[in-house]
Amino acid sequence: MEMTKKYWKGIDELNQTPEFIKHKEQEFPNQQSVEDFLADENLAESSTARRDFLKFLGFSVAAATLAACEAPVTKVVPYAVKPENVTPGMPTWYASTYYDGASYASIMVKTREGRPIFIKGNKDFGFTKGGTNPQIIASVLGLYDSERLADPQANGNKSSWATVDAAISKAISGAKKVTLLSNTVISPSIKRAIAEMSVKLNGEGGSKFEHIQYDAVSYAGMREANLSNFGARIIPSYDFSKAKTIVSVGADFLSTWLLPTEFAVQYGTRRNPEGDWMSKHFQFESVLSVTGSNADVRGMIKPSEEAAVLSYIIAALQGKSAAAGSWKAAADKAVAALKKSKKESVVVAGSNHIGVQQLANQLNNILGTYGTTIDLANSINLHQSEDAKALKLAADVAAGKGPEVLIMMGVNPVYSLPNGAEFAKGLKSIKTSVAISSYADETASLCTYICPDHHQLENWTDHEAKAGEYAVGQPTIRPLHNTASALESLLVWNGAASRGGQDSAVAYDYIKATFAALSPAGDFAYLTHNSCIEKPVAPAAFTYTAAPIKDLPKANGTEVVFYQKPAIGNGALANNPWLQELPDPITKVTWDNYITMNPVEMKGKYATTYDQEHGLNLAKVTVNGKSVTLPVYPLPGQAPGTIGIALGYGRGANGEKIGKAAYQTKEYGGHATQENGQPTPIGANVFGLLSAAATISYEASATVSPVEGTYPIAATQIHHTVMGRDSIVRETTLSIFKNREKDAYNEGHKLQKLDKHGNHVEAPVSEFDLWAAHPVEKIGHRWGISIDLSSCIGCGSCLVACQSENNVPVVGKDEVRRGREMHWLRIDRYFASDEEAAVGAKKDKETFSYDNAEIAALNPSVVHMPLMCHHCNHAPCETVCPVAATTHSNEGLNQMAYNRCIGTRYCANNCPYKVRRFNWFNYPSYKKFTEVNPAQDDLGRMVLNPDVTVRTRGVMEKCSLCVQRIQATKLVAKKEARVIADGEFATACSDACPTNAIVVGDWNDLKSMIREKSEGVRAYQALEEVGVKPNVWYQVKVRNEENSLLDHIQQVAEAHH
Amino acid sequence: MQKEAAIREPLILGHKTYHDVTEDVCRPIEDKAPKMWYILFGIALVIGLYGVGSIMYLLGTGIGVWGLNKTIGWAWDITNFVWWVGIGHAGTLISAVLLLFRQKWRMAINRSAEAMTIFAVFMAGTFPLIHMGRLWVGYWVMPIPNQFGSLWVNFNSPLLWDVFAISTYLSVSLVFWYIGLIPDFATIRDRAKKPLAKKMYSILSFGWSGRAKHWNRFELVSLVLAGLATPLVFSVHSIVSFDFATSVIPGWHTTIFPPYFVAGAVFSGFAMVQTLLLIMRKAMGLEAYIHTKHVEYMNIVIMVTGSIVGTAYITELFISWYSGVEYESYAFINRATGPYWWAYWSMMTCNVISPQLMWIRRLRRSLLFTFFISIVVNIGMWFERYVIIVTSIHRDYIPAAWSMHFPSHIDIAVYLGTIGLFFVFFLLFARYFPVLALNEVKTILKGSGQSYKESPDYHKHH
Repeated sequence: MEMTKKYWKGIDELNQTPEFIKHKEQEFPNQQSVEDFLADENLAESSTARRDFLKFLGFSVAAATLAACEAPVTKVVPYAVKPENVTPGMPTWYASTYYDGASYASIMVKTREGRPIFIKGNKDFGFTKGGTNPQIIASVLGLYDSERLADPQANGNKSSWATVDAAISKAISGAKKVTLLSNTVISPSIKRAIAEMSVKLNGEGGSKFEHIQYDAVSYAGMREANLSNFGARIIPSYDFSKAKTIVSVGADFLSTWLLPTEFAVQYGTRRNPEGDWMSKHFQFESVLSVTGSNADVRGMIKPSEEAAVLSYIIAALQGKSAAAGSWKAAADKAVAALKKSKKESVVVAGSNHIGVQQLANQLNNILGTYGTTIDLANSINLHQSEDAKALKLAADVAAGKGPEVLIMMGVNPVYSLPNGAEFAKGLKSIKTSVAISSYADETASLCTYICPDHHQLENWTDHEAKAGEYAVGQPTIRPLHNTASALESLLVWNGAASRGGQDSAVAYDYIKATFAALSPAGDFAYLTHNSCIEKPVAPAAFTYTAAPIKDLPKANGTEVVFYQKPAIGNGALANNPWLQELPDPITKVTWDNYITMNPVEMKGKYATTYDQEHGLNLAKVTVNGKSVTLPVYPLPGQAPGTIGIALGYGRGANGEKIGKAAYQTKEYGGHATQENGQPTPIGANVFGLLSAAATISYEASATVSPVEGTYPIAATQIHHTVMGRDSIVRETTLSIFKNREKDAYNEGHKLQKLDKHGNHVEAPVSEFDLWAAHPVEKIGHRWGISIDLSSCIGCGSCLVACQSENNVPVVGKDEVRRGREMHWLRIDRYFASDEEAAVGAKKDKETFSYDNAEIAALNPSVVHMPLMCHHCNHAPCETVCPVAATTHSNEGLNQMAYNRCIGTRYCANNCPYKVRRFNWFNYPSYKKFTEVNPAQDDLGRMVLNPDVTVRTRGVMEKCSLCVQRIQATKLVAKKEARVIADGEFATACSDACPTNAIVVGDWNDLKSMIREKSEGVRAYQALEEVGVKPNVWYQVKVRNEENSLLDHIQQVAEAHH
Repeated sequence: MQKEAAIREPLILGHKTYHDVTEDVCRPIEDKAPKMWYILFGIALVIGLYGVGSIMYLLGTGIGVWGLNKTIGWAWDITNFVWWVGIGHAGTLISAVLLLFRQKWRMAINRSAEAMTIFAVFMAGTFPLIHMGRLWVGYWVMPIPNQFGSLWVNFNSPLLWDVFAISTYLSVSLVFWYIGLIPDFATIRDRAKKPLAKKMYSILSFGWSGRAKHWNRFELVSLVLAGLATPLVFSVHSIVSFDFATSVIPGWHTTIFPPYFVAGAVFSGFAMVQTLLLIMRKAMGLEAYIHTKHVEYMNIVIMVTGSIVGTAYITELFISWYSGVEYESYAFINRATGPYWWAYWSMMTCNVISPQLMWIRRLRRSLLFTFFISIVVNIGMWFERYVIIVTSIHRDYIPAAWSMHFPSHIDIAVYLGTIGLFFVFFLLFARYFPVLALNEVKTILKGSGQSYKESPDYHKHH
């Protein structure tokens, strides 16, 4: 049908007036250009009405206000061109190697979007087999320290590499004497560069150039002893996994002695009582160490008795008799064990006295351990400190007779030399002093030039930590600052290379060349992929020859032992807040060093308890006229007549810029300051109290006198015994475990119930249920953890790994003192009391006294118990949250929805394990935490794991069982359309554990390790009788010793059933 | 001469006429306030504002300004909450339960007791709010429709029950109190001379005209509200006790808690009423209306509830031993002999021993002694909550996590601040509201018969 209707816009269109036709084509009628409008003469005469004015005013104010409200500009840099190997959201792992002059390990570095954020041990390659320590894991934080030097410095001012290099090269060529003082160099390439330098400067037989190796903590005594017995200054390899009997005299080999990253792994393989055999470990020491706390038998000795213990054992093995002290019983047990295990034993001594090491060698030789547990050929290259040379140099410098050019690489002698203060004075008179150092530290700040080295994670390095064990460290990020590899600096100064700038390949090429000479060229790609390679070494050509025993420590009054703490070590990483806040495995004290003393000896003079408000008493320790004042910590197991003080504290005494976290902070933020206005260091430096004869001695005679006043102490644990409770820690002996039924040592809790006939019968706790079970069993996953208390050595690696993985805030000393550390994972350390036969086993239920049970025994046995969220299937936290912010996942996880949390803390109160942590403040922004929390620093924030939320104030947090890793693992498996393999998923803590004490996995996978562990005879659940049905299992601690009292108690328990 | 049975002590002393009652109650409102009122008000206001400032600081900085820690998640906050809720129990008990039991003596004290209840519940309600880490999202405890993926509250949580219990209690108490005030406001309105006051009281009195119909409805509503409020007296503190009773913490996980808490609440509430009224009767010249007899009655309540509380304490001790549960028995050994022994024994002395002195008639009729004991009881009841909360969680299951609690100055300031604010409210009440239910009191005034008996005429004829 034809459209007949017509519509017109107006009468004009209908009529088709000429006007209309004219304007028809024009879209906008009466268009007037801006120029025309402004040119209008009448415009100036027009006035704005009052109402218009108010409108404009209102609009302007509103517009200005809105503009001021603009959110800060945040830059997002998109990958317009996607970098190779970087997929946003996906981690990239690099195999690398860690060496800082003291610790060594093959590591895996996790990077996200080009940022290294997590370090774990490399379990597949390298002789450390996944072993790490807290320092290695925490070292990733150092990369993002904003006080790391960004440029080379000349005379304390920022300079350029060209200027600095020219000046140093000129000084070297013009000098009569050039000395390179470095820490132990294990890098084949740096060794080669130094050798080249020596050749160039010394020519044939000259003495212009000298290289001296010096470590803050020396093992020279051991090397000298081996020189006397084997003719070479070597340190052999030890294999604790082959030793059925381990006798350690003062060697903290699991934590700080020699090569703990390797030893802990070896040791861990023999601490599981379910294996073929379990090692028997004897420890004789003064300060209760991590190693001592794991010993089956521990004897308390003074440092001066170390030789006597070794001599006594030697005599006993030879059928002779020798004088013995209070440690005789322990020594006799050791003798009996050694007689049985003979060459399958190992004896180690921690002393730096040549004589003590000679005795240890003698004992090892008698036992025949050389060739079985001790390998002289595959010797350890770490710790080559030449005490005599270093001390002579220090004395020369102090006397103003130092070399004209002194290059110091990786050392901090002003801090760590016994005569550091005098050395510092002399250092100023040296014409050209150069420090290759990342910080303007105690030594570097006094040097003419500072040439900042790359952080390890930015650097190409190579290593030969043991003869034949080659490894490289590769950069995981482009250098953040204008720094340069130490190797490159040496080459440049030697005229062998020129600076390559930020993307320099100098070190890479040089290292590649080193390895090309070592092995076929193809190896280097393999090497960088796996980080290490093994080259066969010639079999040992060493034979033991007896040598006269020399340099034995002498007894005199109170003896002080200078030891290292696992977290702070020699103090090089004292600016790392993760490490400062890592509780000492034994004392649980953070952010301080102190005098350790046996509480029995403290009675009447010093307070033996402490809490948030009541600090510790102070005492003054005087050694050779030098003194230090520190709080006195009551440490059970400290040998009577001795005290201990940790090295590595008191860094930056003159306010050197070594990192914000290296100083004490005030209650409301900011650094505490000393009288001279400089920030107050943490703890006190006791390197100055060391003395040296042939070698540096780490023990001395001291006088101790109480000082007026108390000192607040920040400890994460203020109660030290388990109060005889048998449901938290379970301990037994190897013979009970081997010979008796489960009920003897791992009796399940039973409750009374009525059976069908109305009789009272006992039934296991699992039969009682208030709630319907969560439907997780046999449906999908159910994640669980097993922790072996026998294997756990308490080192704290898991704790730092958790902190690193989960963005756990650092809260600083004042908050730790208040009991508010945020660690999701903690390691409870229990001392046995005299009321207990073992930790958690009451000697006699009738006479048990709670008062006495609070006091640890004189030389207590120790249990370390890692504790995190137990992910209870009947979680008491979940029922009490008013807003359902914490709920149960269908995979058995107890999960926290931070966004939903309103912060009533009811969940934390109702948690039997007390693992929940509350955000008391806004840690990422509140001023109190500026100095300590890396999340408050633009650079430090880069260490945060992008997969884990940074929590705000007022919300509860806790272990999530690394749910972000679970999800990632599931995603990978899903993409590949397969089920998750057992062992594919690991939490940060299980990744970090050097002894594999922590096993995680899917409990619903019937063949999984966790399932097997949870059903094993040693498995129990802490506080089982509370009925919360946790997804965490513990494995009974088994000690390889005789304990007749415990035998009796557990036999009675068994007979009861 | 006719024999008359020995009668009870009169509830109103002296020869008060209806007009006297009106005068006595209205005078303080109509007169200029005495200097003392301004001084007290000033002190209370300063303390209250200090508390408010501390709360602001707390909200601005974080819960960390209190002395809590990883082990002790509640301490003074919830102690104060339970303490104030407990105090807030007397009012409703007096007005509702005693009304149902036709205890006429309640009429002299119910108004101020109810006011005290409301102000105490205000103070109590502050603590669950400010103890939250994120107060600004505190409304999530309300089961209101929302767009967060329609998140619902957790009905399993006793804290949620608290929300309902406290808010119900507060609203019913408030309505009950206000209903009672209406006729009295009308009286003041009718007497008011200043236009502003007249206007204000006229609004407050809701157009009350005193007709029989009004009175009839008034009585009915009072009775209905009394019926509603009576179960609340028992439910509120029962539910508050569930916060602890339903938990797994030794020392909290106790089935005896509901009756024990209710008895304790009445105990502390009456003590607070005593403290306030003994001052008020003197300050406001109400000796004729609130006198020894009232005090004695209240002391008897204190004695009875105190004995219940004492029995509960001892029962708890017995059960902890009898249960054979290691943690449970240790929790009580620790209370009595552990680091907080002083708090436990303060509680025992104040709450168990002191009310027993009320068996002595001379003491329970002594106003000075009563005043002293009323303060002692509230100190004891504060310690009771502190002992229950802190000494249970400071040493629970895992000894490595054991800790101590030390209050910060903000803890103390917030607590004192609520006491200050409470008195600010109470002093304003005493100044502007009829402190006695004047129209109700008139119903128990011995009328003309008594006056006649005491008049010279009466004696002339007999």
